[in-house]
Amino acid sequence: MRQDMTAEEVEQYADGELSADALTRVEAHLQDCSRCANAVLSVLQMKRAIRLAIPRYTPRRPLALPGRSSRTSWWLAAAAALVVLALGGTLFEISRGTSARELVDLHTTILASVNPVDVVSTDRHTVKPWFEGRVPFAVNVPDLSATPFHLVGGRVIFWHGRPGAYLLVNKAAHRISLFIFESAPQFGDTPQMTIDEWRSNGLTYVAVGDVPHQDLESLRRAF
Amino acid sequence: MTAGPTFEALALPLFEPLYNYARWLTRDVDEAEDLVQETYLKAFRGFGSFTAGTNFRAWMYRILRNTFLTSRSGLRAVPPLSIDDDPVQYEGITETSTPETIFFSRANAEALRLAIEALPLPFREVILLSDIENMSYKEIAETLSIPVGTVTSRLMRARAKVREALRGSR
Repeated sequence: MRQDMTAEEVEQYADGELSADALTRVEAHLQDCSRCANAVLSVLQMKRAIRLAIPRYTPRRPLALPGRSSRTSWWLAAAAALVVLALGGTLFEISRGTSARELVDLHTTILASVNPVDVVSTDRHTVKPWFEGRVPFAVNVPDLSATPFHLVGGRVIFWHGRPGAYLLVNKAAHRISLFIFESAPQFGDTPQMTIDEWRSNGLTYVAVGDVPHQDLESLRRAF
Repeated sequence: MTAGPTFEALALPLFEPLYNYARWLTRDVDEAEDLVQETYLKAFRGFGSFTAGTNFRAWMYRILRNTFLTSRSGLRAVPPLSIDDDPVQYEGITETSTPETIFFSRANAEALRLAIEALPLPFREVILLSDIENMSYKEIAETLSIPVGTVTSRLMRARAKVREALRGSR
């Protein structure tokens, strides 16, 4: 029992990799050996410090595989099925391409999350009041029951320091992000995306997606 | 792959972690992006050869890593000799009974990051996979195609090297 832990055991213990037998033995040993306890502590501290000190790099843009062969179209369909931006008011002072790309990135980031939405509901009467007090404007959630679109839920997002409402909408296997802001950047086509803009009830809507224009027009009719 | 999960369902959530790993391997934004794209393309083509029930994450990381190692900068990153035979000094259980809290204070975060960036690839990647990606030894072993015992000793050496570098920077 007085036998010091091996260097391997210190590492394995800190990484939670010791077998059950070894764990019992080591834990008993650590009770009365400050040398080994310090060694373990040192590794644990380093692990923690590394986790805190190491930046986690995030991609600048979603994955876009070159070409549009049938082999790669799965991704094009999935990566940014459709990013829809419902917008009104003034313009952000940022370049057009950058804004679209950033929202596509946001779309991909949210969809990659385990919990993409904070309010999970298919009921617009639940989702709409949920945003009250959370964003500085009323979020109008239309009735999508007669459309191929299906409401999944929503969350609050921040973009360029402004709060916005986020709705996740499904169309069959495709997932669509609907970002709603008080003010809008100006969008233009980016190389991989189709972009459509329209105005309705004093709001500007901008739809962005890797889909043909007629899909965006069909979505436009739903709003 | 009849009833199993689709490639898309398995691979999509790995996009950001894979990119992060690629950035740490390549140390370059553009190269990391290219590497991840190539990885997805290769993985998609090779998905038929993926054995259902085995570790998909390790499989993807392995493809990314192998792709990197055969790239130009990857070839430069690999040390000429087997690092596992190299008699690197590590401390083991030594007489130093002072906890090393001092090395890991907030002020040293930058030094710590630099120390890890400066590590030779085989050491840098085990630290990343273990401490950042929270992979088990077994998963790391699968990713790097090395025995589990080698994972343990590499991690040990990697951490000893970081500790050494921090002492030097103090």
